[in-house]
Amino acid sequence: MFNNYFKIAFRNLWKNKAFSFINIAGLAVGMASAILILLWIQNEMSHDHFHEKADRIYTLNNRDKFNGDLWAWSWTPKILGPTVKQDYPEVEDAVRTNNGTFLLSVGDKHLNAQGYFTDTGFLSMFSFPLVNGNISTALNSINKIVITQEFSKKLFGNDNAMGKMIKIDSTDNFTVSGVLKDLPNNTKFDFEYLLPWSYMSKIGYDDSSWGNNSVQTYVLLKNNVSQKTFDAKIRNITIDHTKNTGDQSTTQVFTQKLSDQWLYSKSENGQYVGGRIETVKLFAIIAAFILLIACINFMNLSTARSEKRAKEVGIRKAVGAQKRLLVIQFIGESIILAFIAFILAVLVVELSLPGFNDLVDKKLYIDWSNVSYWLFAIGFILFTGVLAGSYPAFYLSSYKPVKVLKGTFKAGQALITPRKVLVVLQFTFAIALIICTIIVERQIQYAESRDSGYVRDKLVYTFIQGDVSKHYDLIRNELIAGGAAVSVTKSMSPITQRYSDGWGWSWPGATEDDKKTDFVRMASDADFAKTLGVEILQGRDIDIYKYSTDSTAMMLNQSAVKIMRLKNPVGAVVEADGRQWHVVGVVKDFIYESPYEKVEQLAIFGPKSWFTTIHFKLNPANSTQKDLQLAETVFKKYNPQYPVTFNFADESYALKFEEEKRTGTLAALFAGLTIFISCLGLFGLATYMAENRIKEIGVRKVLGASVIGITSLLSKDFLKLVIISLLVATPIAWWAMYTWLKTYTYHIPVEWWVFVLAGLLSIAIALLTVSYQSIKAAIANPAKSLRTE
Amino acid sequence: MIKITELEKVYRTEEVETVALNKLSIEVKEGEFVAVMGPSGCGKSTLLNILGMLDDPDDGSFVFNGIEVAHFNERKRADLRKNNIGFVFQSFNLIDELTVFENVELPLIYTGVKTAERKKRVEEVLDKVQIMHRRNHYPQQLSGGQQQRVAVARAVVNHPKLILADEPTGNLDSNNGNEVMQLLTELNEQGTTIVMVTHSEHDARYSHRIIRMLDGQTVTENILI
Repeated sequence: MFNNYFKIAFRNLWKNKAFSFINIAGLAVGMASAILILLWIQNEMSHDHFHEKADRIYTLNNRDKFNGDLWAWSWTPKILGPTVKQDYPEVEDAVRTNNGTFLLSVGDKHLNAQGYFTDTGFLSMFSFPLVNGNISTALNSINKIVITQEFSKKLFGNDNAMGKMIKIDSTDNFTVSGVLKDLPNNTKFDFEYLLPWSYMSKIGYDDSSWGNNSVQTYVLLKNNVSQKTFDAKIRNITIDHTKNTGDQSTTQVFTQKLSDQWLYSKSENGQYVGGRIETVKLFAIIAAFILLIACINFMNLSTARSEKRAKEVGIRKAVGAQKRLLVIQFIGESIILAFIAFILAVLVVELSLPGFNDLVDKKLYIDWSNVSYWLFAIGFILFTGVLAGSYPAFYLSSYKPVKVLKGTFKAGQALITPRKVLVVLQFTFAIALIICTIIVERQIQYAESRDSGYVRDKLVYTFIQGDVSKHYDLIRNELIAGGAAVSVTKSMSPITQRYSDGWGWSWPGATEDDKKTDFVRMASDADFAKTLGVEILQGRDIDIYKYSTDSTAMMLNQSAVKIMRLKNPVGAVVEADGRQWHVVGVVKDFIYESPYEKVEQLAIFGPKSWFTTIHFKLNPANSTQKDLQLAETVFKKYNPQYPVTFNFADESYALKFEEEKRTGTLAALFAGLTIFISCLGLFGLATYMAENRIKEIGVRKVLGASVIGITSLLSKDFLKLVIISLLVATPIAWWAMYTWLKTYTYHIPVEWWVFVLAGLLSIAIALLTVSYQSIKAAIANPAKSLRTE
Repeated sequence: MIKITELEKVYRTEEVETVALNKLSIEVKEGEFVAVMGPSGCGKSTLLNILGMLDDPDDGSFVFNGIEVAHFNERKRADLRKNNIGFVFQSFNLIDELTVFENVELPLIYTGVKTAERKKRVEEVLDKVQIMHRRNHYPQQLSGGQQQRVAVARAVVNHPKLILADEPTGNLDSNNGNEVMQLLTELNEQGTTIVMVTHSEHDARYSHRIIRMLDGQTVTENILI
């Protein structure tokens, strides 16, 4: 029997090539999109689930109230890890990680790379297997280093790295004690090497302050310890340890499962409530809809051409087929079709994965060696086949043989047919996506056009490494004297980022509540405003070279002055971080973080704070290339060991739009695909409509209808559907975009013309799609078409 | 074999009510060859559809082989149909995507006959209707007469007790028409009961008895032999 079904299925596919092409192409594109999204979702959902002990690994987090809101964050004091390990029997092990970027040298090879300082237990807590070396001893002494395979290749080529020496920051020698298998693509951890915590202590980066939240802490709980009871026990650990220290903390500690951290990192009211999981859900919906839309094509085309198969149904029933068998036959056919489409989809996916990976910044791949992928593939084919085939199967198999075998059968012309509803559903989704795409693009443009408050043009920064700090004055002078730069300043962070923030400050008129106001920290030696092009509203720039007392000078931004309620900020003394700072100037707010958010209060400290970055403004008299060459010579001269890397402020600023641009590109991509699939379906429907109405068109023409009249008659029906779709899509898209825009402080309003534009666009696209068939039908010779009866 | 009593069938649309069968009573004995005649719209096709269990009556009794089937559900009717009844239609109704062989094979598939046995029986019957040489052709490659012979072959391949023929020669020229009538007569002589709806007096003469219908009722019955 199945043999017979296969024969019919393949002969039907072959006989109706156009129909088969539309169906298979639409389904393949839909399936390919869904597979790409599902690969991404699978990667997101599996982050850090692969650790063997994943069900017992938790991150430690802080929760406290700032500016009136309860916040949660995962940076913790360095002392927290050893304390919980020592004092709480529930804890099997505690491990900390602290990011560090160092220059690693092997012979003449120098590489700047990011690694972690971590505790000995890191390799046994997490499942990052060693290719070479021993888990328990790899990090147990101060001069050992563990590197990843990829990094080993960079440093040593194909040689075995074990036991070889690596110099760090041109000062200390380390022996490679382990080579790690490269990190999988589904972990939040990102490092090229691991260094023992003891080395960090040696170079003076360690401290036992309960107020300095700068590392990530992970605990491995013993079997049968519940998260809830452990949370209750450690809640007040920081509060208890800061009692009677004069620096009483109010920060609570709580755990989060490591495997939840990736998806749930957005803090709301002191809880992790969302984050990437929201994007995952959104994309799951998009994947489901795209697949559904592709399946709708199949449903519509199958039912539209059902008259052609009605006879077969009638005959089969007359010779004894039960409805059940016919349903099985038709669903079987759609599964065959889904199978063919799947093979094409996989091809499309394999071809588009490199581009898609660039777009989403991931390393996704189809793991054919994994049985579960095969099982998924089978499930996916069956699901799609049944989804696409069930409605046509029941529709076709319910035909009454009496009617169809007489040869007088005509499908009904109901006012609302399921087919029309399905077309409306397709176009609703497509139009909603068009609207969203336009609004996302507009929002990015809006934020990009916002005044950043500083001049990014020809602004370059580089990080202070090696001997740069020691020779900074010489470097500064030579950059200017040599004509590479017109102005130079040292700072705590690149202007496009915040590295540090703090609270507990006081100033004239400050209340106890003000101690809970969080300020962003920046720093400067001199020429901060001049170099960055920030406007000074009151007072002057910090200048340690002119005023020796400026080592404890401070500049505030407008927002800080406002929140501090300072009438005469210049001259005020601010107590912060255990020191008194005197305010010398006020700068206009500039965007150092998100261009979509309000600029928060910020203080720029004098040289008594710390520096990581040098900014300099290139000399406009030279070409950028020449300026950079000159600058490179200066840095090479004073810091010869280190490779010179210059970063452009405008490029770093552009990165702030990356996430939104990605969203925008993905929305545009999926909107395009949805429209493509929907139009394929519309084209198919138009074809059948033209065929079915061939006699009507003939009669109309004989009676004197014009080509334009007939074309518009045929197109009108489809236009109506698109307009209904627009009406349905408008409130949905409006609500979605309103909600999305609300997450940004600086956002555009939802503008009405976007809906009009999207509507016109979709009408134009739909018209173009159906017009070919409409015009073809309209210009056909009526004598021919009337003969078909 | 067939006994219908006071059978009623009414077709309703929103505005019109058409009485297709009006308390019709007919009996057909096993081995009979009956022709049903009458003007268009007299209800003869409706009768044939009910006899073939493709449609169900609104009222009345339909006893087939001693079993009351008037109110069988679709599944039961399909079962009874596939084991007992073969159809021959005016427009042949062959499946275009299947070859001659495959078309004839279809009823055997639904009755669950094994592949080897199917092959044997299909070849036998194709031989009988003299279309064996065309077994791998598709319907559109055949002449009308050949197509109808295939349809007859399909109707009899399952050795049905009853063949229902709905204007079997309506789309054929007289030569081909005669061939098909000859074929039906042979089948009848071998014991198959035949009920045939026709407009053609010539064809009706092949039967044993002619039932004439008007407005859903029998008006006369002529016994020819």
